Amino acid sequence: MSKSMIVAKTDFKNALKLKMVKYGLVMATIFGPIMSFIIFLGVLPIVPPSEAQLLVGLMGPIITAMLGMFAIIPTTMIAANALVGEREMNTLEPLLCTPLTDRELLWGKTMAGAFPSLIILASSTAITTVGIAIGSVALGYPIIIFPDLAGFFLLATATPLMIFAVVAVMIIISGRVTRVYEAYQATTGIIMVFMIPMILPMIGLETGGMSELVWFSNFITLTIAALIFVIGWAIAFRLFNRDKLVSMV
Amino acid sequence: MDDVVISHLTKNFGELIAVNDMVLDVPAGSIFGLLGPNGAGKSTTTRILSTLLRPTSGTAVVAGFDIHEDPVKIREITGVLPEEANHTVYEGMTAYENLEYFAKLYGVVEEAIEPAIQELLEFMELWDRKDDLAGELSTGNRQRLALCRALLHKPTVLLLDEPTAALDPVAAKRVRELILSLSEKYNQTFFINSHNLAEVQRMCNKIAIIDEGRILLAGNTEELRSQLRGKQKYRLLIRGNISSAESVVVNLDFVKSHESEVDTIILEIENPMDNNVKLLRTLLDAGVNVVELSEDEATLEDLYLEVVKGGSQQ
Repeated sequence: MSKSMIVAKTDFKNALKLKMVKYGLVMATIFGPIMSFIIFLGVLPIVPPSEAQLLVGLMGPIITAMLGMFAIIPTTMIAANALVGEREMNTLEPLLCTPLTDRELLWGKTMAGAFPSLIILASSTAITTVGIAIGSVALGYPIIIFPDLAGFFLLATATPLMIFAVVAVMIIISGRVTRVYEAYQATTGIIMVFMIPMILPMIGLETGGMSELVWFSNFITLTIAALIFVIGWAIAFRLFNRDKLVSMV
Repeated sequence: MDDVVISHLTKNFGELIAVNDMVLDVPAGSIFGLLGPNGAGKSTTTRILSTLLRPTSGTAVVAGFDIHEDPVKIREITGVLPEEANHTVYEGMTAYENLEYFAKLYGVVEEAIEPAIQELLEFMELWDRKDDLAGELSTGNRQRLALCRALLHKPTVLLLDEPTAALDPVAAKRVRELILSLSEKYNQTFFINSHNLAEVQRMCNKIAIIDEGRILLAGNTEELRSQLRGKQKYRLLIRGNISSAESVVVNLDFVKSHESEVDTIILEIENPMDNNVKLLRTLLDAGVNVVELSEDEATLEDLYLEVVKGGSQQ
């Protein structure tokens, strides 16, 4: 096993020992699908079967953005523990005394924060897709495939980018805060970017052209995520080196 | 051959010179003690040797590897016990998990991990606590766990910063025994930071005294102690009122210095072979009840105080 993977696994296991993180991960995995079923399948019975697909267009952006938001939350929690937690617990110095290179350590910390979120993103999307398909058929409607193409685009591009961007932002923040909860609070604001694809398409409800607005808001979200990712990692790579880390010990 | 060779090492933190043009050699297999007051530059030196800090100028070679050119290699063959090491264990992990994690990071082969952990934990009398969370261990046990962590991969050079700090006398003795036995068994080199003079005197065969980042004195412990014998002191044990003895002693021109401690006066006597008899006679004539006049064994503390005091005055 690579040393990065050893770091990642240990960081993840250590994060899971905290109730907030453990239950946070469970909630992040199930809350998205549950909310989706409530929103989607709750409304479906009052919609005629012929207009079921319309419902996908209407509710889709909300559910998609929600799945994205819930998937990013674990990264903020795990990365905060993996980066700021080491500092808070005084465990950074012995770790830096091991033969780990800066790159191995960085990759380990990144994997610890990002991989669980990517798994949660994939699994909660899969549960939602299967649940809505089964639910729609069970309610006597034609099978509904969710997410649609626009939703899948957002979940497959902006969300993973944002997950990795959160790790970069956490690296930047870790040099400035001393407590895990401060780091956690500081990065949760980034998740609000996913309010854009949730709310912006609603403008199209009155003016028409909601579909175009969905794609437009998805592109805006992707652009912001990409900007945070690029700028964040450019700064994080500069900051994540032995000298900077030692100064935090 | 030397395991640690420090060449004109300097480390500045802004205006502060933490390590000042240090030159030092530590022979392979020796137990070396770096002595100095708080803020003298001991921990900074250790951090540079463990490649945690880059020096401002100069270099050091650890077990044949240069700190600038082979930092990863140095980290592979050194074991480090940081300052206040009892605070540096993962409190949410068990004692065993802590060691297993670091064994993997140090590249200990999978099959050797468990025996290595068991051997160390048993030696440190922690094996029955292996499944306890490190956070639930006492301060002393956490320190011992941190020491196990530094020894896991059988490093060539051990950099220990105050290894017995926070340990009770029994545990401290055990750690000293461990260091001595490891040095004998594996010929490991120990670089120990300490301000515990008695401990250094018991363990180290070579010492250096550092203050304000400068090495004030370095050499073989016994040789340095023998130098002190030229400045032999004497202990005068008095029964009764010590002030009457002091008033006599202060007027004797061959008494170069004196210092009182409850019922004892420690004296530095010029030409003691001739003057000790004079001293006793004068005291007895003055009615002082002398119980004993004995040689005061030269200790590292005397040397340390003399060197550090002298260094500060310069």
